[in-house]
Amino acid sequence: MQQKDFIELCRELALVDDHAVNRTVLPLVKEHLAKNSQNKLPVIWIETNGSGDDNIAFMNTTFPYLGQVFSEMIDLLYSNTFMAAQGQDALTVLEQTAVLYRGRFTLVVEGAVPVKDNGIYNIIARTANRDITALDAVIRLGKLAQYVVANGTCASFGGPTAARPNLSGSVGVRDVLDREVINVSGCPTNPDWFVGTLAHLLLYGLPELDNLGRPTLFYGFTVHRHCQRRSYFDRGDFAEKLGDIECMFSQGCMGPRTSSDCPYRQWINYVNWPVRANTPCIGCTNEDFPDGSTPFFTPLPEKSGQDAAPGGAQTLPAGLPITVREGQDE
Amino acid sequence: MSKQRIMFSPVTRLSGLLSVEVMVEQGRVVEANASGTMFRGYEWIMRNRHVTDAVYLTQRICGICSLAHGAMASYLLDELFANELSENAQYLRNVMFGADFLQNHIRHFYLFSLPDFVRMPDSPPYHGQNLTDSRLNPEDNRRLVGNYFEAIKAGQHSHEILALFGGKAPHQHSLVHGGVAVAPTADKINRALALLDSINDFVTTRLMPDTELIARVYSDYFHIGVTPRRLLSFGLFKFGPHNEQDLWRGGVLNDNQFNAPRLELIKEEITSSWYATQADPGADTQELEPAPHKPGAYTWIKSVSYAGQPYETGPLARMIMNGFYQGGTSTMDRIYARSLETLLITRLMREWLLKLQPGPAPLKQNAEPVKNEVVVTTDAMRGALLHSARIANEQVERYNIITPTVWNFSPKDQHGWRGPVEYALVDTSIPRADMLFTILGRTVRSYDPCISCATHVLDARGNVQDKILL
Repeated sequence: MQQKDFIELCRELALVDDHAVNRTVLPLVKEHLAKNSQNKLPVIWIETNGSGDDNIAFMNTTFPYLGQVFSEMIDLLYSNTFMAAQGQDALTVLEQTAVLYRGRFTLVVEGAVPVKDNGIYNIIARTANRDITALDAVIRLGKLAQYVVANGTCASFGGPTAARPNLSGSVGVRDVLDREVINVSGCPTNPDWFVGTLAHLLLYGLPELDNLGRPTLFYGFTVHRHCQRRSYFDRGDFAEKLGDIECMFSQGCMGPRTSSDCPYRQWINYVNWPVRANTPCIGCTNEDFPDGSTPFFTPLPEKSGQDAAPGGAQTLPAGLPITVREGQDE
Repeated sequence: MSKQRIMFSPVTRLSGLLSVEVMVEQGRVVEANASGTMFRGYEWIMRNRHVTDAVYLTQRICGICSLAHGAMASYLLDELFANELSENAQYLRNVMFGADFLQNHIRHFYLFSLPDFVRMPDSPPYHGQNLTDSRLNPEDNRRLVGNYFEAIKAGQHSHEILALFGGKAPHQHSLVHGGVAVAPTADKINRALALLDSINDFVTTRLMPDTELIARVYSDYFHIGVTPRRLLSFGLFKFGPHNEQDLWRGGVLNDNQFNAPRLELIKEEITSSWYATQADPGADTQELEPAPHKPGAYTWIKSVSYAGQPYETGPLARMIMNGFYQGGTSTMDRIYARSLETLLITRLMREWLLKLQPGPAPLKQNAEPVKNEVVVTTDAMRGALLHSARIANEQVERYNIITPTVWNFSPKDQHGWRGPVEYALVDTSIPRADMLFTILGRTVRSYDPCISCATHVLDARGNVQDKILL
């Protein structure tokens, strides 16, 4: 309907009783919104090789709560966890929506992608004729999507799924797609990081990304920089054991080389985070998690070379703990 | 009518990736092959790491039951290091464990199982639901859809209790060997009680009546998905200075014969699983390796048996063995028992929270391991869970895990015997072709499958002793 016709209709109906305007106009508005659904982000979410923790973390989002995310923010077109459809009906939904929303949908991948033996170690669905591997699905859908979001450290960098010896040959999404991937790392992702990234895509488009493809909005500073216990660190006042209130560097804390806003944001309705729980940050947003973080309770400079990935802990300069080299922020 | 082969894939609304291939003949399921289609090789990942890494690392096996693995690894380390647990530590651990149970059960019932029985709104992510057997009247249906959205908050509140003490969820931080690293203080206890009150309100005014309603309207499901009365539990909620007491007893129930579990009677095999034994005649133990192209195999899940027979595990086993539930072993019994357990746990958690004494973090970790091998068992949300480890110089040499879903989703063994889920599906009547997914989906989900947990590599064929001690 053109603007002119619309105004005329409103004028006409203004003289009629019984809320005729509302009755006539509201359906038109709804139809308009349905046709031009710029107000919600179409999302296709593929689960691959992981623990499923990022969808559980997603369920913990508050303001918006999960129901609000579904009703107000995103059209979750395909999701192994949430969708009501099942079996062939679910696959039909996937095929139809991928075509219908081609170039407009956001592909969310949760989990790493096995590439060994053509990806046979992860099959997202089977038909009578063939198995659809995660590798196959991510490559095909990655070509059709407007944005690709790797949700979690497995999807971003391989994560625990790709930890040594990595029998399934799993890698992050960026290694199988020849395009930009937004990495929302974390094990799991804080729902604010994930929902916040989707909100940015919806409202303002692509967010600013760091050199690992992560939104700087959430990963711009190290945990160490904003840690509540930074003053203990600066005074060299270290915890003797887990459960103490001092700096957790002595207990293996990865905060000095881990980028995330955990100290500010905290978790599950913002009530707590690992260091506040008197335990170390284990660097779960890092490119080399978990191999670069284990042994978890050994201080950073002493984490074993076997555990550390290239560019990991062993490249920190001597002289720790007082002069820890910061991440990108200092 | 000839035999029809139908692929039920993906089975959505569960943790992980599952496909079920069924053969249907004259309106009846005559065979079912349940396939876990993801492999990560987690026990291999555990090797050559410091054994205390197990608490945080094994949690990453699973998102929906993460704390179960963390607690299990903590029990394992308690025994390795001969830790002595304080009463406060045990109450606090069980509050945290209980909170993760509430989270799991509430989310399973509403987010995963409810769309099997209730017509959801025709908008994403519920579009294309195709519920071909919908029986609720419009008013009840509307109310239960509303409760689906209320359940989102109850699930979040459950994890908030866990995070209050555990730092975050999934993959909490404070429940470690020797106790809990967070002090139970008056403010935290009070906040947890308030959260628990709201969850308890949800469970008593929504979950229980909704379960009753579904059970009444779909009462034929008390006769669908029936399995032999062979149930297994390792017990739940550990107390005592050495985790030696279980609040809810475990056991092996075969018909009405009840015995304590004997771990040496547990056997695993790989007839239908994508694994092969490594040919290494010189070695005194056999190693498994993934074999994704193995003929005749159809899943990454292994077959596990107790005294040569498949056993079912889960809330139903716990409720029956502890005298809380007197029903049968059908699809609806499984659903009902899970809701009942949720109610019982909310009450227990209140009791435990009130018994907590405000004070310092109840944590005492011994520095030196006193043994090199250990096997621990407890129940997780989905049933019997086993962790075992062998260490040398505190480094993991072998770490093995048998999860509940391995019991329930065992594929056919060397005799062609079906595991519980396959058994439950076979012989199901399918009145109309378009009802197949709806009917089978209800039974599969009554087990609350977690395929991310289920697909592991173990080290050798044979009994558990071999595996654990090799």
